[in-house]
Amino acid sequence: MDEKKLRVVNYLNQFFGQVGGEDKATVGFMVKDGPVGPGLALQKALGDRAEIVATVICGDDYFAGNVDGNAKEGAKLVASYKPDIFFAGPSFAGGRYGVACGAMCKEVGAQLGIPVITSMNEENPGVDLYRKYAFICKAPNIARGIPELANTMARLAFRLLSGEREMDLVAWENLPKPSEYDYFSRNLLRNELCDKSIAERAVEKLLAKLQGKPFESEVTPPVFEKVPPPPPIKDLSTCEIALISDGGLVPKGNPTGLATRSNLKWGAYDMEELFQAWEVAHAGYFNDHVLNRPDRLVPYDVLRELVKEGKVGKLHGTFFSTSGNCTVTKRCGEIGEEIGAEILRRGTIAGAILTST
Amino acid sequence: MRLEIESIDIKDILEGPKTYAADGVLSINFKELEKLILKDPRIKSVEIALVKPGENVRLLNICDVVQPRCKIGREDADFPGFIGRIQTAGSGRTRSLRGVAIIVSNPGTNRKEIGVLDMCGPIAEKSPYGKMKNVSIAPTIADGVEERDFEDAVKIAGLATAVYLARAAEGHAVDEVEIFDLDIPKIDPASPLPRVAFYYQMYTPQFDYLATSDPCFYGTHVRTLTPTILHPNEILDGGLVGWNVVKAIDTYSIQNHGIIKELYRHHGKDLNFVGVIGICANTEPESRTRCAFMAANLVKNVLGADGVILAKVTGGMPHIDLAVAGEECEKLGVKTAIFTQPLTPFGTLSDTILFNAPCLDLIIAASATFERTKVPWKAEKFLGGTAKTRIFCPDPIVQYAGDPVIDIEEYLLPGVLDCTGNARVIVKEY
Repeated sequence: MDEKKLRVVNYLNQFFGQVGGEDKATVGFMVKDGPVGPGLALQKALGDRAEIVATVICGDDYFAGNVDGNAKEGAKLVASYKPDIFFAGPSFAGGRYGVACGAMCKEVGAQLGIPVITSMNEENPGVDLYRKYAFICKAPNIARGIPELANTMARLAFRLLSGEREMDLVAWENLPKPSEYDYFSRNLLRNELCDKSIAERAVEKLLAKLQGKPFESEVTPPVFEKVPPPPPIKDLSTCEIALISDGGLVPKGNPTGLATRSNLKWGAYDMEELFQAWEVAHAGYFNDHVLNRPDRLVPYDVLRELVKEGKVGKLHGTFFSTSGNCTVTKRCGEIGEEIGAEILRRGTIAGAILTST
Repeated sequence: MRLEIESIDIKDILEGPKTYAADGVLSINFKELEKLILKDPRIKSVEIALVKPGENVRLLNICDVVQPRCKIGREDADFPGFIGRIQTAGSGRTRSLRGVAIIVSNPGTNRKEIGVLDMCGPIAEKSPYGKMKNVSIAPTIADGVEERDFEDAVKIAGLATAVYLARAAEGHAVDEVEIFDLDIPKIDPASPLPRVAFYYQMYTPQFDYLATSDPCFYGTHVRTLTPTILHPNEILDGGLVGWNVVKAIDTYSIQNHGIIKELYRHHGKDLNFVGVIGICANTEPESRTRCAFMAANLVKNVLGADGVILAKVTGGMPHIDLAVAGEECEKLGVKTAIFTQPLTPFGTLSDTILFNAPCLDLIIAASATFERTKVPWKAEKFLGGTAKTRIFCPDPIVQYAGDPVIDIEEYLLPGVLDCTGNARVIVKEY
């Protein structure tokens, strides 16, 4: 069968791109035809099935000066070569280089929807910043073993491009096992088939615990931070108060599209309009009471009374809403920060009441 | 308490003039079965069909799956409180048909989250029920019957069908006899083996449809049940049945309870199985705390357990009941293995833990029941619904049973994951 050769673009920094050392770290983007430096090993690993058509190069300092903007500029260069797959690095433990590789992968992946692969050491800050967006193969912390790394990256690339489904996943996705393909897990959780049933593992592990033998928990419990409460408001009668809830109260039609479960979004809605026509986007509690009377989730009625009585200065006209049902704590924290920043930006709000379900 | 389950392997099913089993073939008289189901005045009509692996059929609006079972030599003792008169389940002889299941559908349901099973394609590969010969029943509601009342009628119709089919296999050679013999009061207190109890969350009221709890326990619901000691045989033999909806739980999995069977396998060898604490998850903190203290006290001071497995049903809130009870057990010196079911596909496993209790140091990743799967398989024939039946997705996606691809959560695919520990599944970071 006459198979068309896959087109590949590689990203390197000024050093590996053979432009120069630290003194050249400020140079901007340039493109060289074909593979350069470690790209030669990668080309060898890819063999006849794929061809590195271009190498995009940028200085580490230049890239670090405006990561997001430069990633967009670099991705434009990459896109002009119409690649089927994109590689960056390996960047080993190089911090600026790792961030550049990660940012390039994220942008190219988002724009072109092609597999993006890079390689870093676990100490590289790029791992945690970009593991969600790229397949990051595990590399040593100093620049050695490039041919082996090239093989690892190429093998993963062909596996991804094959479209083959991972049959050990209950959902049968095209998602290779991190342990088998030597990459950092991508902040995804998946049901995987297992030799032993849940019941078998539970009894076996409990027995080990009872017998005083070493036992392995399948999950390492988290350590939660303690959040100190802010000082109380002394005089509410002069304050503007905002209402926030994670109970999923949204205007009829759910304009922001909050998900009923594993929601990642939040919305800001006009309070008066919301209380004319509402619905609930939350599948984690018994919704009936709120559907009948949203004030039981968000105390709009009570607050209006208190304002009328002069006990509370003013009620802020916007209601901040999210749906907190099975959302990971990390994203909950981010949503809190985003809503908090918006509240501060508005400048007039002195306090907020958060109601939950 | 001694229970003998006599299993008959059914290799094929067919419609015939008489309901009986011979040489591993179950023949079913549809008219007679229909008449039995229509005895319930809440049911106006019923569609009965047989489906087999490899057929291009999608079963919809599934509310339960049941294994054909009946008591031998005891009238009126099947599924006490639902079919038979109320009595303690779990002793004597029970006939069980293997390789065949009753798929119970409620085609008129207004519930959004409905169970789906395909007899071919990815879902059939993943679910044990997709590899069985199945009897599909889909009753329709009689005039003037309340929706929730009808749901109970549909579930009971499934249980009645199970009893009817198992009875019809009388006289057929038995392929295997399993004995579940556990005399808890006589377990030797001087035995060196650790005493292990099972904390079993049977239900959660958080999803209660139209503010009513599903009856699942001796004919009633368990919403107001305080922690109760049960003999494991009661659960295996019809004292407990599925909910009125499939949420990674159905009667078939309860009849073949993974954790109970596993504890039986170890009993007398490396542990002593000292009993089950049946509980219901709580929506209020006060009742949750009360139940946690009661359960821990029963485990430690009544059953005298050294260790306990705490297993949960689907949902986020049930984690909290489990964790509070687990903490109390550990405080009393009872070692725990606690289940978790990550609720989201994002983050690390550690991110998904909903409790903060360092003493709960043995956590079992008991499957992510809300995991979504894309099913690229187009059905041609539909039972219990139509090609226009809406398929639920937590994102506001509009999709129908006849679409070429459906995006569905695995807890709605009966048998793929079940909350009794049977699934050979672990959650891993990818």
